[in-house]
Parts: sequence; structure tokens; C-alpha cells
Amino acid sequence: MALNGDEEDFEWEPPTEAEMKVIQARRERQDKISKLMGDYLLKGYKMLGECCEVCGTILLQDRQQKNYCVSCQELDSDIDKDNPALNPQAALSQVRERQLASQSPAPSHTPELNESPSSSQGNMSVPQPRPEHCEGAAAGGRTPLPPPAVPSPSAPASTAVLAPTRPSVTPQSSAQRLVLQEAEEAVLTKLRWATNQLQSSASLEASIQLCSLITSCANSLRSLKEVSQ
Amino acid sequence: MAAQSSCVASLYTVGVLEAVILRSFGPEGGQVLFTRDTGQAMLSRSGTRILTALQLEHPLARMVVECVWKHSTATGDGSKTFILLLASLLRLIHAAASKEPNVSHSYNSTKAAEAATARHLADKLLAFALKELDELIATGVVPYGGRISWEDFTATAQSPSLANNLCVQKLLRSFFHTRFGYTHCDFISHLACELLSYWKFKNELPSFSLQFVSDNFPALHTPVSGFPVCASRLIDGQVIHRDFATPPLKTDHQPVKAVVLTRSLQPTLLNTGDVLEVGCGGRMMEERSIVHFSAWMERSLQGIIANLQTLGVCVLLSAVKQSAAVLALATQAEMCVVECVSEDELSLFVRLSGTIPIWDCSMIEPEHVVTLTFCRPIQLGGHRYKNTPQRITVKPCSLVICAPGEGQTEQYACALQDAVRMLLRTWEPMHAAVTTTSKRTLQSHKSSSLHTDNLTDRTTYRSSAIQPIHKCVLEPGCVISAGGSFELLLHYALLQHGHSCSVSHDLNIDTSVSQLLANALLSVPQKIYAHSPKGDKSSKDSELDLGLESVSCKYQLLLAVLQCVRSLLKVDTVLPTHIALHTQSSRPASTSWEDTEDEAED
Repeated sequence: MALNGDEEDFEWEPPTEAEMKVIQARRERQDKISKLMGDYLLKGYKMLGECCEVCGTILLQDRQQKNYCVSCQELDSDIDKDNPALNPQAALSQVRERQLASQSPAPSHTPELNESPSSSQGNMSVPQPRPEHCEGAAAGGRTPLPPPAVPSPSAPASTAVLAPTRPSVTPQSSAQRLVLQEAEEAVLTKLRWATNQLQSSASLEASIQLCSLITSCANSLRSLKEVSQ
Repeated sequence: MAAQSSCVASLYTVGVLEAVILRSFGPEGGQVLFTRDTGQAMLSRSGTRILTALQLEHPLARMVVECVWKHSTATGDGSKTFILLLASLLRLIHAAASKEPNVSHSYNSTKAAEAATARHLADKLLAFALKELDELIATGVVPYGGRISWEDFTATAQSPSLANNLCVQKLLRSFFHTRFGYTHCDFISHLACELLSYWKFKNELPSFSLQFVSDNFPALHTPVSGFPVCASRLIDGQVIHRDFATPPLKTDHQPVKAVVLTRSLQPTLLNTGDVLEVGCGGRMMEERSIVHFSAWMERSLQGIIANLQTLGVCVLLSAVKQSAAVLALATQAEMCVVECVSEDELSLFVRLSGTIPIWDCSMIEPEHVVTLTFCRPIQLGGHRYKNTPQRITVKPCSLVICAPGEGQTEQYACALQDAVRMLLRTWEPMHAAVTTTSKRTLQSHKSSSLHTDNLTDRTTYRSSAIQPIHKCVLEPGCVISAGGSFELLLHYALLQHGHSCSVSHDLNIDTSVSQLLANALLSVPQKIYAHSPKGDKSSKDSELDLGLESVSCKYQLLLAVLQCVRSLLKVDTVLPTHIALHTQSSRPASTSWEDTEDEAED
């Protein structure tokens, strides 16, 4: 719907199918937001007169005077969801969804993730993963491969970007052992931190993220142990 | 997304309010549990109560809740339906406006064009409703319903041949069913019918007695907590919610004479800061002191009491607190005094007895004295009250409402008051003055424009136009079966009207408007039946049990919703201010604030 305000005759054309899908998705999202906001209002939250700067939804305020935006903090972002290149948040949530989807059906998928230990390490250490990395990891999580199949996780894009721990796995030098130990310690501290956060976390989304972080930490630890052996 | 158009903003806010009340809507709707910080808990399904309990700072949301509250005060019901209709209307208007922005004007953006179209649509909707809706209801909806006569309170009073079994009790039963559920609706509706049949004034319109009951309801009921609901009953006489200040009458000799005092019998001649000069007309006698002054006061008081005694007065009903001297003298004279009677109870007493309250205590005439049949203390719950009827044509009776807790008694009392208001709306004679003139001009226009056309159908049309206009006005007492029938019937009537308008090439603007309204009306039955997916057989049984609802209340609801839509869409932008324009005040004060904000933003 372009801005044709200055033109005298604005012909209304029926929306195309893609636009219809977008409209439908927006309406559903709006309904979801309304329902969530209604539930919060009944719980005693206050509806403020201000709107969120990011998404334009009406803000809520809880008893502790903290402002809360339902769509930003609970629902996934609506902006450019199909294009993870423009929105790293969307990319991260996609990766997380793929990981969860790949982890829940069978544990046979975990060796797949083990073969790309650096990808999970990359998830932790790089808060805004680059799009190629995400796509590679997403591709790794999406395709149901038998465990020993190496080619798909080792997609050239991901290996080209990732830290070169993959090719230099076999030589067991002391420097490498030191590096591995440091890596283990870093992972353990992160795991500890994530556990503490999880205990005190009140939001559903944060808890899910923390759980996935703990899972990736555990996987990294396992792969580090395998590497050191 | 900084600037949202008012249509979109109001759509969002009303969508949220709709999500709040949706789960409590319908016969299967749930209840909301309210808890206070004191630990008091209350269950309620009333839409007004839920919406007014929400904490809302958004001005559009507050405006909507304000409109709902005002409507509920006027008709007593329909707040959830209000929100549903409002939401569906706003959605449809928004959809229609984004399809065809007003091309005749040039605007800065499509948003402004959409907003203008939406506003225009809302104005057209309201105009259409004010002009044609009652006629449509009278022709399209009322024939499928029925009329309740004011005389038919219970089903037993009617002839058993009537299939529908329409009576006031059935109407009240369905009303209370939406408030309390199955448990107590029968009992409470029976109680309400009893109360109303007691207060029926002969040779008066039903709206007169209903207005009387509605106005005096606080004085006509006594809430008693700690008893089961089934212990509620009617008692003879008016209950004065105060105990005797002096020992009550020893012998129950009838009749009892009473007077109403609005001032203290002992005049307060002395105020703080006054200086009293005690003398005796210039003559120097022995020293005068304050003791002599108070003795003089007591003598005058004794005179007043003696005067009352000669008139045979035994009971003094006082609006203010009487002094100890008055009480002592009254006890001596074997008169009982009730102090601090509330204003509405006293006014009811005065109105029922026809007496005049005493203003000047030195002049007490026989017309100030009223004769009562009895006057005795009554123990209700934890309190002692005074029970006193009068000798008048209408035997007064008072309602005792029992419930387990204080919150529940208040709920029942509110529900009863709302029921009376709903009945008042049902039997109110419609003020057809404005509508008839508009109908006359409309029909004269029609007849004048049609005189060149064919004779056959046009003559019949014209002859129907000449028919007396009062037939188009909604008759009092019209009811229809509940559960969405009104909305469905009106939906079809509107669609037919739209077709007929487009066929006659007359008023073709109305087609889109009536279609929009027709589609919006469908949302109500949709939501009712969305909750309860029942089988065919059971749904037939439940339909019969759904009860009745008042047609004029629904009509008022529609008009109120359309007016609310128009005022919502009139708002151009919502400007946030960081200065508190108001504090958390009572409803009337915040009403004025909302109005000024709208005017400032127009």
C-alpha cells in the first residue's frame, strides 16, 4: 500500500495472496497480543497510555512499576521474520527453534551437533551470529541425517567462518590442552551462570533461552572432552 | 510506528478489553475472582464490575469503560455485549475504511484518509440508527418475540394455553441467570417479583412504580451478611436502619403516632466563641448565671415535649443527633427517639406517610403527626433496626437480602437494582416526539418523490406511510428470547432493508451502512455459541431455557455502542502529557476530564 496521497484517483486493488498471508499473520498476531494483554490486565497489571517504541504495542506496567511490552518480550519479533540477514534476533530465534526441534525428537541428532562443537561454542561466544553461520547451523539442525554423515554439518560456509579447531583436532600438544582446559573452564562458568539465572528467572522466554544455553554448554563440554581424549 | 491513527489505536484497546471479558461472556461464561489486599475475595461475572476493576491509564480504554459504565447505569445490563459489538464494529469500519479511502478530499497520507473515512462511516451509522433502526426492530424483530403485560408477574397468573409462558419472572430469571448462574436465579427472581408486586401503584404506569423502587432502593433493602441466600425475604413495613436511642415502647399499643424531626429539639443558641450576656432586662436582681440560662432552656424544652405529648406522639424520628437533655425528657415522657436516620430513608418515610417534617420546634401542628400501624425493633443479622409501616394505600414492605459475606450482599443488591432498571427500560414509554417528526418528513419525502411512478405498489407504500406513526414505535414490554435471537433477526432485517434500498435506487448510501451493521451484529451470537459446542438435541432444550431479554434494552445498547464508536473515532491523536491532569477520583469527576480531553484533541 504505497503512499498515493497526492494522486487524485486511488484505485483499490484486492491484495495479492502474499499480502493476504501477511495480513492474516498480522491479524493473528494482533489477536494473540490482545489475549495476552487481557490476561495480564486481569492479573492486575496496569495499561499505560504509552506505546512501545519498537513495535507500537500498548505498554503494561506491573505492581513493581516495571514497564512490560507483550509483543517484544513474549512473542517473536514480527519485523522481517523471513529474512534473518536483516534481523539477528530473528536469526537467533530461528537457530534456537531448529536446535530445539532437532534435539527433542531423538538423541541421535546430538552427534550431529557434536560434530560441530564450535557452532555451539560460536552461539555462546558470538551473541549476534553472522547470517552464514546461522544458515549453516540451521541447515545442520534441519536435515535429518544419520549420525556418521559428516558432509552437511561441515558445509563449506560454516567451516570457512568458524574457528579452525576442526582440522587441528588430532595433534595433542600441551598448548592445545591448555586451550582446551581454558575452554572447558569458560564453558563451566557459563553453565554455572546460566543455572543461577535459570533459578531466578521469571519469564518463560528467558527460561527457554537459558535451558538451550545449558544444553549447548553441556554439548560443548562433551565435545571438548572427546577432543581432549 | 509512532503515530497510530485513532481507528487503529481504538481497535487495539477495544481488542484488549474484548479479550478481558470474552471468557465471562455467554451463558457458559466464567467468573472473575477479585481479591483485595485485605484478603476479601469476590466472584463476579458482571461486565461492569470487571471493567471498572481494571487498572487502565490509556485514555481511549478509560473512555470506553466510562461509556460502558454510563450505559450500565441507564439500562442495568449489557456491558459485555457492548464491548463485543464495539470491537466488531471497529474492525469492520477499519476494514471498510482501508478499502475505500475518501477520494474526494486530498490528504497527507492514506492514514489520514482512512481516519476520515472511518469517522464519516461512524457518523453515517449513527444517523442511520437514529432514523431507521426502531422501525426495523418493530417490523423485523418484535413479531418474533412477545409482549409481557405488567400484570403478569408469574406464570401461574396466566392462562395455561399460552405456549410461550411470558411473564416478568421469566425475564428476571434470565437476567439473574447471567449474574448468578443456575443456583439462585429462580429464588432471587421470585423475590424480586414479590417486591415489585407489593410496590405496584394502582392506576399508574408500570414505569412509575419501577422508577419509585429504583430511586428508593437503598432505603427499601437491608443487607444482612452471614446467612445463606435462601434466607432473604420480604418483611412488612419500612426498616429504619437505626436502633432506638431511648428504650423502646413498652406496650405495643396501636396506633402509634410519630413525628419527623429535621433539627435538634434543643436549639443550639450557643456556639463556640460566642459570648453570652446573662441579664434580666436591665433590672438588677440577684446574680444570674449560666445555671439559670440552662434551666430556662430546659423549661422551654419541657414545653415542647409536653406539646408533643398532648398530640399523642410516641415516636420521634430525628435526622440529627439529639442532645442528652432531649433524650432524658423523652424517656421520662415515655417517648422513643430514633436518631441519625439517613436522608433517603426519611424522605421515603415522609413520602409514604404524607407528613411534613418539623422545622420549627415551637410550632408543632397535628399535620406533622403521622399514624403508624406498628413500630418495633427488629433484629436482622447483627444489628437491631426499627420496623415501621404506615397507614397508606400501598402497604410498604422491605427486602432483606442475605448472603454469606458482605461482598455478596452488595452484589445481590446491585443485581436487584440493575434488574429494576432493566425493567424500567423495558416498560418505559418511548419518547417518540423526535422520531415521529423525522419519520413524517421522511415519509412525506418518499411519497412526494414517488407520485410520478407506478400506481400499484407505490400506492400501497404510500398508504402505509400515511398510517399512524405510533405503530413504528417500540411498544413497552416487548421481549424476545435470549441467546442471540435479537441480533440474528436484526441482521436479516438489515440485510433485507439494504436489498430493498438498493432495489428502489433510493438512499443507496444506506446499503453499505446497513450491511456493515448487520455483519457487526453477527459477532454476538457467534461468541455465544462459540463457547458451547453442544449436540443438536441438547441445544434445543437449552434454547428453551435461555430465557427472555428486553428488546428496548437491546435497542438502547445498539445506540449507545454507535455513539461510543463515533466519539472514539472523533479522536485524532492521543497526546501524552507528563502533568497529572486528574487524580484517582470518583466517576463523575473523571467523566468531565475525558470529555475535555476529547474536545482538546478534535
